[in-house]
Amino acid sequence: MREKYSQLSPSEFFYRNREVAGFSNPVRAVYQTVRELVENALDATEMYGLLPEVDIEVEVEEDNPSRIHVCVEDNGVGISPLEVPNVFGRVFYGSKYVLRQTRGVFGLGVKMAVLYAQLTTGQPVRVVTSTRKSRFIYEFEVMIDIERNMPVVRNLRVWGNDKAWHGTRVELVIRGNWYQARRRVEEYVRRTAMITPYATIRFRGPGSSLTFERSSTKLPRAPLIGKPHPKGVDVEMLRRMIESCDEETKLADFLSNNFDGVGPVTSRRFCEWAGFDSEVRVHELTVEELELLAARMQAYDGWRRPKPLTLSPLGEELLKRGVRSVLKPEFVTAVTRSPSSYAGHPFIVEVALAYGGDIPPSGEPLLFRFANRIPLLYDEGVDVAKKVVRRINWSVYKVKFPAPLAIVAHICSTKVPFKGVGKEAVADVPEVEKELESGLRVCARRLRRHLSRVERMMKLKRWEVTVMRYLDEVVDALSYVTGSDEKILRARMLELVRSRLSRRARVRA
Amino acid sequence: MSLDDRVILETLEKLGKKVCDQILRGEPPRLEIPARTLANIVWDPGRRMLKLGSRRIRRDFLDMGEAKKFMQTMLMLSLIVRARREGDYPTIRDLYYAGKHTIEYVDERGRRRREETWESQRESDSVIQDIEVATGLLREHMGILHDTKGKIVGRIRVRSGGDVIDCSRMGDGAYSVPPNPDSLEVLEVDAEYVLVIEKDAIFNRLNKERFWEKNRCILITGKGQPDRSTRRMVRRLWEEFELPVYVLTDADPYGFYIYSVYRSGSISLGYESERLATPGARFLGLTVTDIYEYKIPRNFIIKARDRDLKRAKELMSYPWFRESREWMRQLKLFLERKEKVEIEALSGHGFKFLTRRYIPEKISARGWIE
Repeated sequence: MREKYSQLSPSEFFYRNREVAGFSNPVRAVYQTVRELVENALDATEMYGLLPEVDIEVEVEEDNPSRIHVCVEDNGVGISPLEVPNVFGRVFYGSKYVLRQTRGVFGLGVKMAVLYAQLTTGQPVRVVTSTRKSRFIYEFEVMIDIERNMPVVRNLRVWGNDKAWHGTRVELVIRGNWYQARRRVEEYVRRTAMITPYATIRFRGPGSSLTFERSSTKLPRAPLIGKPHPKGVDVEMLRRMIESCDEETKLADFLSNNFDGVGPVTSRRFCEWAGFDSEVRVHELTVEELELLAARMQAYDGWRRPKPLTLSPLGEELLKRGVRSVLKPEFVTAVTRSPSSYAGHPFIVEVALAYGGDIPPSGEPLLFRFANRIPLLYDEGVDVAKKVVRRINWSVYKVKFPAPLAIVAHICSTKVPFKGVGKEAVADVPEVEKELESGLRVCARRLRRHLSRVERMMKLKRWEVTVMRYLDEVVDALSYVTGSDEKILRARMLELVRSRLSRRARVRA
Repeated sequence: MSLDDRVILETLEKLGKKVCDQILRGEPPRLEIPARTLANIVWDPGRRMLKLGSRRIRRDFLDMGEAKKFMQTMLMLSLIVRARREGDYPTIRDLYYAGKHTIEYVDERGRRRREETWESQRESDSVIQDIEVATGLLREHMGILHDTKGKIVGRIRVRSGGDVIDCSRMGDGAYSVPPNPDSLEVLEVDAEYVLVIEKDAIFNRLNKERFWEKNRCILITGKGQPDRSTRRMVRRLWEEFELPVYVLTDADPYGFYIYSVYRSGSISLGYESERLATPGARFLGLTVTDIYEYKIPRNFIIKARDRDLKRAKELMSYPWFRESREWMRQLKLFLERKEKVEIEALSGHGFKFLTRRYIPEKISARGWIE
């Protein structure tokens, strides 16, 4: 048995464990396929300073409705023709295996989609791509040799790129259930538009069509590639980092060169504290010593906090724009919290709160969760954000349910603490929970201010409407009874009303 | 007694002018009027009547909660002034219709809405009362009519609207008390007392027997709870002609309260007692003790209901009952025996028992309660 498992190729492993990657059933598979392609499309644009244009098309075969064509096109940097086979046909291959905030981690998702298509319909992935300034457009049809984890190029066409097009178009044919997946997919597109207000996203599918024009031309600052934080280390990571080092590298230098926020002083201080010789060559450390080193690095309190430069929050302005353009609320506010960290992983929490307008009133707040700009649609009940939202006593903030209240929770991290393998819910890590609650309370306080202002204005308006409603009756009656000039009386009355209005408005402003 | 029409019109106009002047001076228009709330009705033991207390309410047009009532008051004022200027005599229902119209407006949320100046006659009646207390004028003075149910018969002659009416020449019928008894000129009274009868049927029986002729008296009924004009009529006969007034009702708390309305005024129209109450009115019967002293047959006695008992307890809490030992004795006995009778029960002793024995005996034996 052991023998057999050791020979399992990564492709085969994921093929056998496809539910881990979200392909567990025909509904989920459709959603997951769209999601993987859209996320790659967004990464291929915004990471390189391009304003994303993403077109999503879904078609259902008329005589065989369970065969679904999913096609996503972007205006990104494109993929070099040399890389295409590996990017789509080889598991554990991709540019994402570095430390910075990205949507996916291993570039694995799209390969799972390719594998799923291959498994269910036998169709290859069709990729049309052209890099910037390339004179050619390439069209590939790629399949995966599952046993050997090797790409197989089935077809390759090349033609001239007259219009200087760049980007990538990926098409897959999968088996799935569109009619049940449709609402999830639409919701996914809607939420993606919310968190990427600088993108134009168009979606066309059987019986539905959504267009979200970009509401901003400002891209959030792209994340920098960073070094890992010493607190977040494990033995395997240490081993691999040491492998890529020079033979002569000493422990102190190894630490100060490879880890976030560690300089020569911190490095030596740590070695002293941990009982390691700072001059020892890292290649000479035994596995037991590495294990101890990792444990001491995790336990040491003297490290500087991780730098958040590897993170790319959306920012309050963009977040508000996104929420405004998708939910069309009467009021919106957003907070980007200062960076924090848990277990050596930096993270930033962003919270937005929207109220009124087109938001449908509901018995509890609508929750929109995002992690690294990916909408999380499933498992809301167990998410830490849900826990925090539930804990808030909304009546303190003048919200009476049913209320048109929506909350957006966005967590950016080099390692989002997901709950379970589905990556659809964030675990209740105390540090994250605290940041979420603080952010939400800031937003809620602003909402309360807004609501009491609205209430006051409403009251003043109601007063004005009431008095004005009866004013003519009173003036008519008085001028008849006393013979006073109706016009003068009315003018004086209006003056009284106006002066009181402006006085009250001033007092309350 | 009738006030000069000119004075009345001036008094009404003065109220409007006061408000008008406030506005022209740049002050928020407001009315200050005596409160007509239950808490502001007080018993005046010296004058033995219910009166309005000293509490006043301020009705401010610029106050959202009072704006509508203020508008209604001004609207009603203008309707009454118009009637006075044009010599019309509208009823309270006429005034309700004359002032009722729809106001269209746009509310604070931008919705088009409609509202009636008043939804029911209760609202328009209420502002008439406000104008009464604000000006100190009664509606009768302002020429406002209302339904009347009072009837009078007996040795009295009056002049009304140019006609002379002899109330001893009404056959089997009776003269209907007009809405404003102050407009009657009483020409001649040849009677020794006034007998006020709760029930119309008993009034008719006594009239048929020509009781008033045989006993030299005047009969009046208000058919149950008396209206303002019946009470005013009784008051005038007592005040102007110094006639003793006797009240005859069923022996139950409702009958007792009707007596107290004639004598002391009603809680809801406390401000009118000054002109309507007859503090000297005497309660002739039937008393609770009459049930036993006159040996009313057991099968004519009615078992008191819960609400009768509740009403009796309420009466015992009113100061104008509390200050009378005799009334407290009667009410205690009622609560004890839990029995009541109608006047008709006296017929158990023969149809003429009431007129031949009960009334004359009670009066001559001074068997009334005050």
